[in-house]
Amino acid sequence: MTKIVLNGREVEADPKKPLIAACHEHASHVPMYCYHPGLSPVGSCRICQVEVKQGEMPPRVVVACRTPVAEGMIVDTEAPKAHEARRQCLEFLLKNHPLDCPICDKAGECDLQDYAFAEGQGEGRSVEPRRKLEKRKSLGDVIVLDQERCILCSRCVRFFEEVTEKPQLTVAGLGARSTIETFGDRPLAGNYQGNVADICPVGALTLKPFRFQARVWNLSKAPSTCGECSRGCSITIEVLRKQDVKRLRPRPNPAVNRFWMCDHGRFSFPRFNRPGRLGGALRRGARGLEPVAREAALDELAERLRLDPAALVVASPWLTQEEGALLKALAPAPLLVTPPPSPLKDALLHTGDPCPNRRGLTELGFTALEAGEVVARLASAATALLVGERVAELLGAEALGGLSGALRLALLDTHVLDVPALELALGVPDSSERTGTWLNVDGHAGNLAHARPAPAGVAPLTRTLQELARRASGALAR
Amino acid sequence: MSAPLKREVYLLSRVGLVDSHTLPVYRANGGYQALEKVLTGGYTPAQVIQIVKDSGLRGRGGAGFSAGLKWSFMPDPAKDPRPRYLAVNADESEPGTCKDRVLMERDPHGLIEGILIACFAMRVKTAYVYVRGEYRLSHDRVRDAIAEARQAGLVGQKILGTDFCCDIWMHKGAGAYICGEETGLMESLEGKRGHPRPKPPFPAGFGLWGQPTTVNNVETLANVPFVIARGADWFKSLGTPKSPGNVLIGISGHVERPGVYELPLGISARTVLEECAGGVWKGRQLKAWIPGGSSTGLLPASKIDVALDHDSIREAGSMLGTVAMIMLDETACTVRAMQVIARFYDHESCGQCSQCREGTEWLHQIFARIERGLGRMQDIELLSALAGGMAPAKTICALADAAAIPTHAIVRHFRAELEEHVRLGRCPLGASSHAPELEEAHA
Repeated sequence: MTKIVLNGREVEADPKKPLIAACHEHASHVPMYCYHPGLSPVGSCRICQVEVKQGEMPPRVVVACRTPVAEGMIVDTEAPKAHEARRQCLEFLLKNHPLDCPICDKAGECDLQDYAFAEGQGEGRSVEPRRKLEKRKSLGDVIVLDQERCILCSRCVRFFEEVTEKPQLTVAGLGARSTIETFGDRPLAGNYQGNVADICPVGALTLKPFRFQARVWNLSKAPSTCGECSRGCSITIEVLRKQDVKRLRPRPNPAVNRFWMCDHGRFSFPRFNRPGRLGGALRRGARGLEPVAREAALDELAERLRLDPAALVVASPWLTQEEGALLKALAPAPLLVTPPPSPLKDALLHTGDPCPNRRGLTELGFTALEAGEVVARLASAATALLVGERVAELLGAEALGGLSGALRLALLDTHVLDVPALELALGVPDSSERTGTWLNVDGHAGNLAHARPAPAGVAPLTRTLQELARRASGALAR
Repeated sequence: MSAPLKREVYLLSRVGLVDSHTLPVYRANGGYQALEKVLTGGYTPAQVIQIVKDSGLRGRGGAGFSAGLKWSFMPDPAKDPRPRYLAVNADESEPGTCKDRVLMERDPHGLIEGILIACFAMRVKTAYVYVRGEYRLSHDRVRDAIAEARQAGLVGQKILGTDFCCDIWMHKGAGAYICGEETGLMESLEGKRGHPRPKPPFPAGFGLWGQPTTVNNVETLANVPFVIARGADWFKSLGTPKSPGNVLIGISGHVERPGVYELPLGISARTVLEECAGGVWKGRQLKAWIPGGSSTGLLPASKIDVALDHDSIREAGSMLGTVAMIMLDETACTVRAMQVIARFYDHESCGQCSQCREGTEWLHQIFARIERGLGRMQDIELLSALAGGMAPAKTICALADAAAIPTHAIVRHFRAELEEHVRLGRCPLGASSHAPELEEAHA
């Protein structure tokens, strides 16, 4: 580590990283547009100017993203000259910016807006007409480009060049006539397009599924883990008014996903908003599935498990370690139903294994089987309990519908599947509504967060399993 | 004034000869003797660099950096065995500048000899000549001269029967001003967009394809054979102590005889104007002049007695640049001239740096507005403020400086004319000096 003096404090800086990284690490605010910790620094936006004094040379204002740290360097991020240089730079950046913040999806989380608010002048000095460019250029299924808002930081260009290593965007044209374009006007492709909207420092690149969906300050954000493959990317779940999940975004995690996530995971959020959630408990009666008190349903389920020690217990791969351990205590030989491998597997993040906690559950002693194999076993079982979100969906409506009425089937899932064999159903929270841990493919623990309340009448699955266990043991004691 | 400067013509000594661009004529007039002296005279590369250092030869591309010192920045091949390159900057594109073109068209072997000596000194085996795309004759003449020299064993393997090998390749630019910036030139040579690179790293450590590279201007290299053949002391006997040697001065604009003239550095601008260019045309008075290409800033006629060397011009408030003098007579509108200059930098900014991309356009818009009579008094302060936000050294390369310097100059020296435009709400010199089609072309 290199010792530098940052705003009067001696701090340690990583010599492999540019000066701006040390500033950020030690809580000195330096604005940035073209710099991104996950991309190579190009030093083109010039907003990160700070004052640096090295040796006997007089202090100089330099861009922090292209300045290597050197032993004994004296850095002042708040020097009047640095402030002035940044303020001037900001004025140029705002000269042609449309200032359409009121209708811009980025407003509230826009680096340009934030810094203009903090440091900019109240009034622009330009009387020239603002540049008129394409305001809603579709770049494929995921991204819309607003060329007027673009400040040409080239983060998106470098993302495709450096992260996916398949260049798709470029800066076309010269000088003030520059615009971001795809090669040959082709739409963007691939499973990582959404990231460019995250790293866009302004509202130039927006996600089609998020456009005009919510003002970002109305979103509550919870740090969680993506459940769409066994990579388990760290994410933030963003919920509008405690109801709908509006957006999933990657959360930096150097050990797992760095700064990125795939579009498959990012756009899996509509699943959280599917209607028809199973609230309390249902029991098959004379008129089909009828609501029943949760306590009664738990009593009956415990009794069934007690009567048939060979009851088949099938778990969803979305079960957390905590839930898995409780279930294992309840049923000694649980099965884990696994969906077929995904063709989205790639070298960057997607593992191709859709089970976010396969590693954790198999380590707990669950036997992973494909849906067909599980259904075959169900056909010969007398009692079965399906546990966890999506478990019924994974086994398939058709397969479950074909099971004979002789099977006494109970389901703990987010949605109910009305098949003849189903006798009992109990709602469970989905992975945006509960806490817990998944172990990813490499054994890294990913935590789930309680990003929004579960529907009324739905208790955490851990509690449901504990209640079942208590009943089962109580029954034994009796 | 000190003693009159010694006058001697060497750079242009061959350009008037019939077929001066051919090898026989070049050889018959002393050509390739400096190369022979270096290769067969027992010189080491370090000695050659020392001679060039001692001569005080400064780069003729505009910045005026010591050529010998630049060469000495190349790493020692014993410690750094990477391939290394010489890139010859023949992208001459600063408005007003047309000196390298004369050398390439009329004396291409002089350039080639300079390249070979430079390559020997820096132990370079591959040189690239980056010629601007519009210079078709220059390109063809240098290309043909390389072929001729190769045939004669002067380029390629075992040059003049020694162990020295050096190849020279031609590369045509596509007309972007920014490709004349040394790192933009290297990017362009690599086949990429000519976006200047942030420095550090510097070209001597990380240049073409990441290898040690030196970029030299054509005229700088054309000086080298003379420095070697005649010695550092001879070279220092020309020009001034801090700016030795002769320089090619291009003079254009409102003069009787525009052209390229060879004179010692330190010559007074008035001498060039009156002696060489025949004075301001049509018997008119001089109003303003640019000493070194459009980026160096207008000076008022009162400064015409300044000496054309790096230090004197800096004292006078401008820069020597490429010594491309542009003269404006009393009928010219300096605001209009500045509008044209601002339009050029607006058009040529590569667009990487925020201040340059937006600032060059903004300056152009303001000058155009003032010239059209739509200026406001506060625009004059705004011009200074914007130029102050763009430069000095606030961007990756010096293009923002090139737009800011003449802006500062016009506000400093011709403020009254700017104010008159604003007050009158029109150009006081009338629209006759305008070429509206140019404005439309850019609108």
